[in-house]
Amino acid sequence: MINVGEAAPGFTLQDQFSRKISLDQFEGRRHVMLLFYPLDFTPT
Amino acid sequence: MEDLLDRFHAANTQVLGVSIDSIYCHANWAMSLGGISFPLLSDFNPKGAVADSFGLYLDEAGIDDRATVIVDANGVVRHVSSVTPSGKRDIAELAGLCEKVNEAHESTLRSFPDPPGLEDDTVLFVRSNCMFSTNAAAALNNLHIDTVPVRNVTDDEAALDELVAVSGKAQAPCLVVGNKARHEAADIITYLAGRVSEL
Repeated sequence: MINVGEAAPGFTLQDQFSRKISLDQFEGRRHVMLLFYPLDFTPT
Repeated sequence: MEDLLDRFHAANTQVLGVSIDSIYCHANWAMSLGGISFPLLSDFNPKGAVADSFGLYLDEAGIDDRATVIVDANGVVRHVSSVTPSGKRDIAELAGLCEKVNEAHESTLRSFPDPPGLEDDTVLFVRSNCMFSTNAAAALNNLHIDTVPVRNVTDDEAALDELVAVSGKAQAPCLVVGNKARHEAADIITYLAGRVSEL
């Protein structure tokens, strides 16, 4: 598990609207909360 | 979760869901929940690679852990926790953590430009028993767009005539904005998201 204080690894992934979303597009603008979850159709 | 989005928004925090499901599975699931407007990201190529880079991919089970990471606007991890795959997150508690992270940064953040919004004359034509039509209509739901009329050309001849008149063919789905027609479901969905969401 990554540790508090470390730099988050960058990524670019597609969302359900076919948009490419990168962590770095939020830099300086927003904090990001990543909700990792096992599978769709389970609670987030 | 969707109920608390305003609180995350006020704390300048973008919520992103991440799992190994495909974007199509995400869209259907989101619809079954009455619309998820925050991005659900597909971490499946290669499977679980992003979760793995955060140390949150469960190799043996082949799934992501149910875990939460808060990254501040400088790209630094400020919180990480796991409730195990079968556990339940405390979303209100996480909102409190995001508010704390935000207190340290708020004054230095730049804002996103406001999304342009939808044109008044936007109409979505769909067909019954058509997966692409279903996907396009689901995007309206997921984006909480209730101002775009949905016309089904399968059982509405007037709608079909209108579709042919404006787009030159009877193909649906078709999103019409003024005199411009978009036929590809993926284009339609990306266009809609781009008009109403600031990302």
